[in-house]
Amino acid sequence: MKIPKHDVAVVGIGQTKFRSKRRDVNIPEMIYEAVKMALDDAQLEPKEIDAVIIGNMDHFEGINFSELLCGIEAAPGYLKPVVKVATGGTTGSSLAICGYHNVASGIYNNVLVVGWEKLNEGGATTGIITAFDPVWERPSLAGALGPLALMAGMYSAKYGITPEQAAKVTVKNRSNAANNPFAHLQMPNITIDYVMSSQMISYPLRLHDCCPQSEGACALIYANEQETKKITDNPAWVHAVETAHYYTFGTDDKMFDLPTATIASKKAYKKAGISNPVKDLDVAEIYEPTSWSELSWTEALGFCKPGEGGKLLDEEITQMSGELPVNPSGGVLSTNPIGATALVRVAEAAIQIMGRGEKRQVPDVEKALAMGFGGSLWTEIMILGKNPMR
Amino acid sequence: MSKNRKLKKDFFEIKWKTDLPYRYSIGKLAVKFFEELKVNKKILGSKCPKCEKVHFPPRAVCADCLVEMKIDDMVELPPKGTLEGFTVVNYPFTDPSTGGIRPFPYGYALFKLDGADTYTMHFVDETDVSKMKIGQRVEAVFSEERKGDLSADIPYFRIIKEEE
Amino acid sequence: MTDDIEKKVYRGRIKVPYKHTGGAYVERFITEIGKSNKILGVKCPKCNKVHVPPKMICHECFEKMDEWVEVQNQGIVKGFTVVTHSTPIMPLEPPFAYGIIKLDGADTDFVHIIKESAPEKLRIGMKVKAVFKENPRKRILDIEYFEAI
Repeated sequence: MKIPKHDVAVVGIGQTKFRSKRRDVNIPEMIYEAVKMALDDAQLEPKEIDAVIIGNMDHFEGINFSELLCGIEAAPGYLKPVVKVATGGTTGSSLAICGYHNVASGIYNNVLVVGWEKLNEGGATTGIITAFDPVWERPSLAGALGPLALMAGMYSAKYGITPEQAAKVTVKNRSNAANNPFAHLQMPNITIDYVMSSQMISYPLRLHDCCPQSEGACALIYANEQETKKITDNPAWVHAVETAHYYTFGTDDKMFDLPTATIASKKAYKKAGISNPVKDLDVAEIYEPTSWSELSWTEALGFCKPGEGGKLLDEEITQMSGELPVNPSGGVLSTNPIGATALVRVAEAAIQIMGRGEKRQVPDVEKALAMGFGGSLWTEIMILGKNPMR
Repeated sequence: MSKNRKLKKDFFEIKWKTDLPYRYSIGKLAVKFFEELKVNKKILGSKCPKCEKVHFPPRAVCADCLVEMKIDDMVELPPKGTLEGFTVVNYPFTDPSTGGIRPFPYGYALFKLDGADTYTMHFVDETDVSKMKIGQRVEAVFSEERKGDLSADIPYFRIIKEEE
Repeated sequence: MTDDIEKKVYRGRIKVPYKHTGGAYVERFITEIGKSNKILGVKCPKCNKVHVPPKMICHECFEKMDEWVEVQNQGIVKGFTVVTHSTPIMPLEPPFAYGIIKLDGADTDFVHIIKESAPEKLRIGMKVKAVFKENPRKRILDIEYFEAI
């Protein structure tokens, strides 16, 4: 294992209030809101930022080469390195990991990363289809939800997970979202019946088993240990990052149990000195595009044994009051601006470490996990902690 | 309601529709696949010379071994397989290849052809989920006139009902 | 293996409907052009540069701008090219010119059409003025073109 040159911390966080439409602002104006908030949070001048990494998926808005439009006007990239990152659902976590690498390696003292999406201006399903093979996959592919529905069905058949257990995930996450002022779908009074009586959109997925399409942006500022000391006495330190990519075609393997999450999380736990994730982690922000996926992902991340995701939920371990709250922010089921979604996981994990979660704060968070999911069943993991690794 | 709508600010926006033609080189193995499909109604996969994993759809590189598979590594597969997962897509979305809403509902499944080690997704001829079950047998349905295009030549897979 | 095999391509299309929110700055700019044939810019509170077309952030200072100023409907050509080939997306039938124009009172340049196709009649430094569309439709082409003064 290579030892990073620098310890790196999250020192500034910004996010917009996520909505289904932001018709009052254009793309750079929307991104600026999150960037400005992150700069103000770190009390840094734009000129003090060393480099900018920006990310979204071009086909979702039909704006190709979007860093041209946004790297300068929406982020402090004028006469500086501006790099674009786009990796599908994992775009936000790839941004987080690229930003980390650029500081940990000693290349920059600080980096601003920003992810965004404005999904009402185009559409995710149509854009996702264009990411896949024109000959073999595009004709029948129905965006992300078709394959996610296949996965949910197979998962349910293999382990006997019930639609009630899936609906409970939506209820947990959307009621958590009511405590998060930035969340898109805040539903404090949502019930299992409400989820289970919503329209069947791709068996076994009902409307409220699925994430929404959101508009908004999220920005983070990373700094090395020397700069961090100058900026804040309450940073969130990065303890481990891991990426696991999978086959080109999602269908090269059976589509459940998310092996990339198991592989990436095991490596990350080792780096961060975590032997029992449920005991050693205090909170997890995971990328659950559907209610069923949260149950499956909690298994893949080692929070419980394979097939016990439903039991873990029933035992209330992942509830706000449980031993390992999962998605206090409301998760992806509440908010999904794709290029920002996985970065919001990291931002929310950092907020928990800093103790700034207000109504969504979990008490005494020392270690937090953030997860990105996307692409062809890819996983990215970041573990954050209250203290530096060394 | 309509009164509220009128009061709502009419935000300035520009609408457009992209229409981008592209040519995608399908690769030698896919060319061979479509030739055999068109002329002989045969389905070919590709077998990794190192790990012997049989890929369907066929492809040129085994992701596990990073070893190239050539036309000589293509193997014939029966047009039958087993259903591993299914859904019925029941929501509207723009199909980027037509620019219109893709007709729905449609049956969509993950299955494994006999002799293949990887899985395939395609249309299935069933939109009633109560009639679908993991483990059911499926069979490719070939068009009479085949022209070297997946959706035209094998428009869907048929679920073989138990009584047959 | 024959050459035919190696050349085979799948011909597809990507057709997707999109919309783009202009935002308040663009909206005010476009609306004023159509309503009163006035061209507006915004001034950076830090460097005092006037940006036309207006936008929210001065990219050099990264400052939010909200001081609106009217600039002149005429300006100087800083560069040009003459378009002679026709494609379906052209706003006018060629030949016509594209110019980089700095309006009097503005500190930034913007690209627009100059309705003059004879290269000998075009020169860097020449003065041009905006000609507005009679029936504006909230597009940048509500300034139909620029012409030589």
